Amino acid sequence: MFEERIKKMIKDVEKLLNSSQEWKSIRVNTLKIDREKLFKRLCNKFEIKEMPWYENGFFIKGDISKTIEYYLGYYHIQEASSMLPPLIMELEKNDKVLDLCAAPGSKTTQIAMIMENNGIIVANDISIKRIKALVHNIQKSGALNCIVTNYNGIHFWKVGHKFDKILVDAPCTASGKIIKKKEIINKWNINRIKRMSSLQKKLIEAAVKCLNKNGIIVYSTCSLEPEENEEIVDFAIKKFGMEAEEIRLKNIKIRKGIKKWNGKEYEGADKAIRIWPQDNLTEGFFICKLKY
Amino acid sequence: MQIKILNENEIREIEEIIEKNYDCKIDLKNYTVFVTRDEKIWLASKDIKNVSLSRCYRIGIYFGKIKRNKKIKLSIEGAFLIGKKAKKNIALIDDKEAFKFLQGYDAEAEKLIGCEINNFVLVKNKNDIIGVGILREKNGKIYIENLIPKARRISF
Repeated sequence: MFEERIKKMIKDVEKLLNSSQEWKSIRVNTLKIDREKLFKRLCNKFEIKEMPWYENGFFIKGDISKTIEYYLGYYHIQEASSMLPPLIMELEKNDKVLDLCAAPGSKTTQIAMIMENNGIIVANDISIKRIKALVHNIQKSGALNCIVTNYNGIHFWKVGHKFDKILVDAPCTASGKIIKKKEIINKWNINRIKRMSSLQKKLIEAAVKCLNKNGIIVYSTCSLEPEENEEIVDFAIKKFGMEAEEIRLKNIKIRKGIKKWNGKEYEGADKAIRIWPQDNLTEGFFICKLKY
Repeated sequence: MQIKILNENEIREIEEIIEKNYDCKIDLKNYTVFVTRDEKIWLASKDIKNVSLSRCYRIGIYFGKIKRNKKIKLSIEGAFLIGKKAKKNIALIDDKEAFKFLQGYDAEAEKLIGCEINNFVLVKNKNDIIGVGILREKNGKIYIENLIPKARRISF
């Protein structure tokens, strides 16, 4: 069933199913060290290369979780494609930012880093267990501009705060992780996709209600399923009058969103991007930028 | 999270404790500094003061804890902020001892700079401040008692 669906989306299904990752990826934490210094230090210990699409990202081979640099928070182990959503948010130093589903905090700490510890980031997550990982990562990164909250994201709008930029990195079925976990195919389940899609619509609705005029929402998942991606963007556009904006990224192969799926036509799909695992040997990712 | 935001005088008191222990001037006025009921000191950016949220789990970063003897046990990040300016109570350790220290073991110093026994010291390996310990003496042997929290230790 999984393969059949993917065949309807792309032609190079075999390439997707056979792709694997040789390199791990890390992000320099410029709140603690500059990239050249870290690169020089890691060069002596590991095989390392620059990430073509992000100056603070590196691909690296070896046991990178047991180094003094990692312990000190000089870098964060983060999937290469997951470094993209914060880059699309047009972050400014004094922004008030909401990261609605923040744990474990890779993107939250990246946002703090881009904002150079200025402005405010409200990093929210529904799960206390996952919040523990979030606060650990915030502490380790030295991010001073974060407030961690524990609300159910779908009710966050009731809090009454408005934000300039909102990241909805929604919980998803994570089928884009197929490059790392082939067993995802066996666990694939259409009912789970439907449940996730329903939750994701509620989350984007909450985000829209929390957004300042002229604000930006970046919606992302690591799922390959149109019901969790283009359908949510379509919902935000048709129900709330949001507008999808062009995303510009350099030195990474991207494909456009899926416009037609199971008899539905999705608005905004041509502005959304898909990172397919086989294209850059990263996890799969879907990203869309929405504006009022 | 119940907090008390410190005023300028209270912030100055913390700066003085640090200055006295590490012989360095630090300026915490550019941060929002607050304490929790357990005497822990936290640092956050200035803007954070303007936001109030009821289900708040954490704000900013843990800087250190005020001990009964009016000294401050710094967190790793607290030590990182102070470390570059500190001139005393610094224990330098070599790579082998740093490897032990990161795993949570006590370590022996290669060189001590203005250290006092039974006092907090910044633990430094090459140019990195890797944390805080207490300098101890037992049976004539001087060592650094490890204060790295379990969650931050590296298991090799």
